[in-house]
Amino acid sequence: MSALLVLAITAPLLGLVPLLLLGPRTGERAALGMLAVNVAITAGIAERVAQGGRALGYAVGGFAPPLGVGLRADGFAAAMMLMAALVLLFTGLFAMTGPGDMTRKVNARGSAGMPSTFFILLLSLACALNLAFLAQDLFTLYVALELLTFAAVPLVCLEGKAGQLSAALTYLLFALFGSVLYLLGVVLIYGLFGTLDIAHLAGLMAHGAGGWTAAAALALMSAGLMAKAALFPLHLWLPPAHSGAPPAASAVLSAVVIKAPLFLLVRLWSDLAPLPLAQVAGPVFAVCGAAAIVFCGVVALAQERLKLLIAYSTAAQIGYLCLMFPLAASSDGPWSALAWTGGTLHLVSHALSKAAMFLAAGLIAETMGHDRLSGLGGVGRLAPVSVAAFGLGGLSLMGLPPSGGFVAKVMLLTSALQQGSWWIATVVLVGGLLAGGYVLRVVVIALQHPDSDLPDVRECRWRALIALALAFGAMLVGFMPLSPLPFLEIGRPLTWESVLP
Amino acid sequence: MTADTLAPPLDLSALEPAMPILSEALMVVAIALPLALAFAALVPAVRRALPHVLALVPLPALIAALAVPRGLSVLVAPYPFRFTLALDAPGALLLGGASLLWMTAGAYAMAYLRQDPARPAFMVWWLLTMAGSFAVFLVADVASFYLAYALVSFSAYGLAAHDDTPQARRAGSLYLALTVLGEALLIAAFVMLASGATDANPQIRDAVALLPTSPWKTPILVLILLGFILKMGLFPLHVWMPLAHSVAPVPGSAVLSGVVVKAGVIGLLRFLPEGVPLPGWGAVLCGAGLFTAYYGVAVGLTQTHPKRALAYSTVSQMGVVAAVIGAGILNGTAGTFTIAAFYAANHMLLKGAMFLMVGVAMASSPRRALAAAAVAGLLGLSLAGLPLTGGAMAKYAIKLIVPEGMSGVLLTLSAAGSTLLMARYALLVARSGTEGTPPRGLAVPALILAGLALVLPFLLFEAVTGLPAAVAFAPSALQKGLWPVALGLGLAALLAWRAPRVPEVPAGDILNALGFLGTASRAIMGGAVAADAVLRRWPVAAFALLAIAVLLAATLTFAAVPL
Amino acid sequence: MTGVHLFGLAGAALVGCGVYGLLMAPGALGRILAFNILGGGVFLIFGVVARRGAGAGFGADPVPQALVITGIVVAFCATALAAALLVRLSAVDAEVARDGEKEKET
Repeated sequence: MSALLVLAITAPLLGLVPLLLLGPRTGERAALGMLAVNVAITAGIAERVAQGGRALGYAVGGFAPPLGVGLRADGFAAAMMLMAALVLLFTGLFAMTGPGDMTRKVNARGSAGMPSTFFILLLSLACALNLAFLAQDLFTLYVALELLTFAAVPLVCLEGKAGQLSAALTYLLFALFGSVLYLLGVVLIYGLFGTLDIAHLAGLMAHGAGGWTAAAALALMSAGLMAKAALFPLHLWLPPAHSGAPPAASAVLSAVVIKAPLFLLVRLWSDLAPLPLAQVAGPVFAVCGAAAIVFCGVVALAQERLKLLIAYSTAAQIGYLCLMFPLAASSDGPWSALAWTGGTLHLVSHALSKAAMFLAAGLIAETMGHDRLSGLGGVGRLAPVSVAAFGLGGLSLMGLPPSGGFVAKVMLLTSALQQGSWWIATVVLVGGLLAGGYVLRVVVIALQHPDSDLPDVRECRWRALIALALAFGAMLVGFMPLSPLPFLEIGRPLTWESVLP
Repeated sequence: MTADTLAPPLDLSALEPAMPILSEALMVVAIALPLALAFAALVPAVRRALPHVLALVPLPALIAALAVPRGLSVLVAPYPFRFTLALDAPGALLLGGASLLWMTAGAYAMAYLRQDPARPAFMVWWLLTMAGSFAVFLVADVASFYLAYALVSFSAYGLAAHDDTPQARRAGSLYLALTVLGEALLIAAFVMLASGATDANPQIRDAVALLPTSPWKTPILVLILLGFILKMGLFPLHVWMPLAHSVAPVPGSAVLSGVVVKAGVIGLLRFLPEGVPLPGWGAVLCGAGLFTAYYGVAVGLTQTHPKRALAYSTVSQMGVVAAVIGAGILNGTAGTFTIAAFYAANHMLLKGAMFLMVGVAMASSPRRALAAAAVAGLLGLSLAGLPLTGGAMAKYAIKLIVPEGMSGVLLTLSAAGSTLLMARYALLVARSGTEGTPPRGLAVPALILAGLALVLPFLLFEAVTGLPAAVAFAPSALQKGLWPVALGLGLAALLAWRAPRVPEVPAGDILNALGFLGTASRAIMGGAVAADAVLRRWPVAAFALLAIAVLLAATLTFAAVPL
Repeated sequence: MTGVHLFGLAGAALVGCGVYGLLMAPGALGRILAFNILGGGVFLIFGVVARRGAGAGFGADPVPQALVITGIVVAFCATALAAALLVRLSAVDAEVARDGEKEKET
């Protein structure tokens, strides 16, 4: 039993108290402190998982699953939690009211810190994400996903403009459609097996029980998760949501919010569903992922606005994780483990690099007063650090070394080639080409001579350094050895034995 | 043929006891110094001091090329990264040549760009490209090679696109697009190559040793050849080279043509197995190289700017290098790679000096430009292999690899073409004078490099081929070397007397015939955007959500449930 | 026809209506309503499933009841959020329209 797991869920909520009771400035600082505590807690969890070599568990109220609700942190969950906590903390720092915000003249363009509502949402996200990574029964996961959506939707429409509101409404309704389908799947599972605990269900389903009802339940749950993750062709809400959201909101939306449903999709098919089913479902996800990489990559190339370009790039990049499903579900031990590591590393490095890119794009747009690509010539002179953060984050998307994206790409490629999936290898390479196209297009424009006079403003340096730090984080992930990471295998396959007393 | 035992041409045995540590440190510093300075340029004080020391930054690399014992390797980062540096004979030749070119061109660049407000940015790209080029010649493991190759390729964009004119933007974009393509080809090849080895990041040598028995031998070789040929500029992947060279500042062109394209050469040398006959592949590479050698000359002759003529000459010369490598792997001839590297290093110095001379001539009065053209012509004749010049030694060396017969004759004849093109180049240089006297900062480095380029091949010949330098002075050798040059000069005179009116082939030649590709890609993007707008409508997306659920359920039910 | 069948069929019918509404409803309000109908159907099925659990030999199955209540609360929150967004959106739209008319007049 480890109380850290409960703390990870409750601590962010405690941060809400000062925000609601004290003034915005004090509350903001307290919220940032709590986000830092959240990083410490998740780092502590990851450290203990690594030290002990086994998963941490906690039975809420002392009732062990399947009767009670259990929390459990294995290597995969711990890695995701730590990544999410770091992104939230950095985004929070980016969004705070900091030095110079009150006096600088670009304030009129919205460079000041975000309103305290933003920090309320950030803390709620932290809570919901930790719950989604730790919860072990399907219904608690449903609640976590809903919490996540409720915290993410207002992020899209913080300024309350018409376009933002309608984007938020579309996002909410589509996510709700997805979650009802997910819930229907949960209901069917409960009707079949009388339990919702993943570890127990995995044991029950391993013998092929459930027949077509179980298949339908898994399909409904997966479709619901795909809708929430904006996986092609269900990405309708993602570009409009990003186009109006403030940069800090876009960063968390792209970097961590859509990662939770993807994480659960992996959970569902790697840990819950029996291997034969996963082998059949894998290609379906991979086809969706491949279509996302190619189609959304091409659409990203055609974008005229920087934020939309990055948004479509997100829609394309989540496809890489889906390419992992058929590779990881094969019975070919080392190569499937390699694909699994590659997919997970891609999740982590994409989160860091995409957060960096959205923040950098926000600063670029703030400096220039717009984010039309055609008018961004020469912005490298006004916002050198932001452009550097964008470019270094882009390294990871292009899959160039040294970056987490490179390591992930090599792993997925190796696994695909070893398993003879030539089409997956081709898609990985084509995706890299497209990413190279849209990232370099922006960098080249930024480095050009300005076509007209540049405005007399400078980027906000300390904010740009935060974006740069995130980009460096994505590069650091690239110093992983090119072999399966044992840490991610800790605690798999799922079981409560030796985790709870 | 003493490729593996090639002794350093400089006798530094007095340093023997301290050698291992010192040598290892030298290899690391050679790469780390320019890289560190590139980042240090963020500090204004460093940025101000940099122009004064830029010419000295390649010094550790030069010393490393001279003094580090061949075959020494350093494990810079231990397992599991296995970031390894090593120096073999081809690497040392190219590293030494590159460091000399970087030094002289660095001094030249600082004088050339004296008035340019964007000089600091140029210096940063310069240092990054330099670090990448040294690293490419030094690294010994697959992942680091990919990193170094990406560094030199992408940084060179900053040199090519420095002037930021519309033409430079177009050339830069094309260069970047092809570079990204090349990276994709190579990563696929490297992953296939490395997955046969036991380590995740094997040494290049170990991985290549497995190549002949790899189940993916054919795809690996196709991808490696395409990827590196792209950088060398073999037909039809040469389109970026004339475009990039004609828009880059003169010193930028010099290192692009001299050093950056050699990243492709070292790539072929590192990733093709030496001493293992690969007949079909060798024939293809040799044929492509020979065709390119003539094609470059033919298009280059129509050019009206000396830099573009030189760019096409580089295309042609890289064709020669490819033909030599191809002939070598055709028969698995030992020692091929060292000789190919020798020829490439010779070209590196000569071409660098020739580009620098163009800049000197452009800053001179017409009369002084004639003097520059005389030096340029001498360099050109050396490149074509005029006996008693350094280039003749390199030509002699490659004849050792390429067998007599069809390919040998074609290769010899290509020297005549080269002479012709070089005559054209010298003529263009002579015409490019404007006014004034060239500043000493331009003339001195250019002349030093020209001198080195003419002399150094004599000193290296014996170490590379194992033959005494005197063999190249034998009457038969002189005669063999003389007639293609004489033929070329005769043709040049003929053309000068009665030149057919041939319109200038625009730089990038076949690229202009590929305009439909641009139209097609715009159409694809437009179609994708339109399709995206449809897919993102609510009823369509909601229906897709339902359809995915049903499809998935049906797949699972029919394919897996009756277990 | 037992109660289980009746409720099961009723749940299925509600789900069908809800899905149809979500696909075809032209406006956001219709979709919110359809979502509620769909949710109601799912909860009804959840109840039926519990009944089946009892039929399978459990004395009674209180877990789904607790889950359904939680689910209803969540669905209620979602509806409230969506409705709030919708109200705000129409207010902003009206404001924009009024400003537009004013500009036309001047």
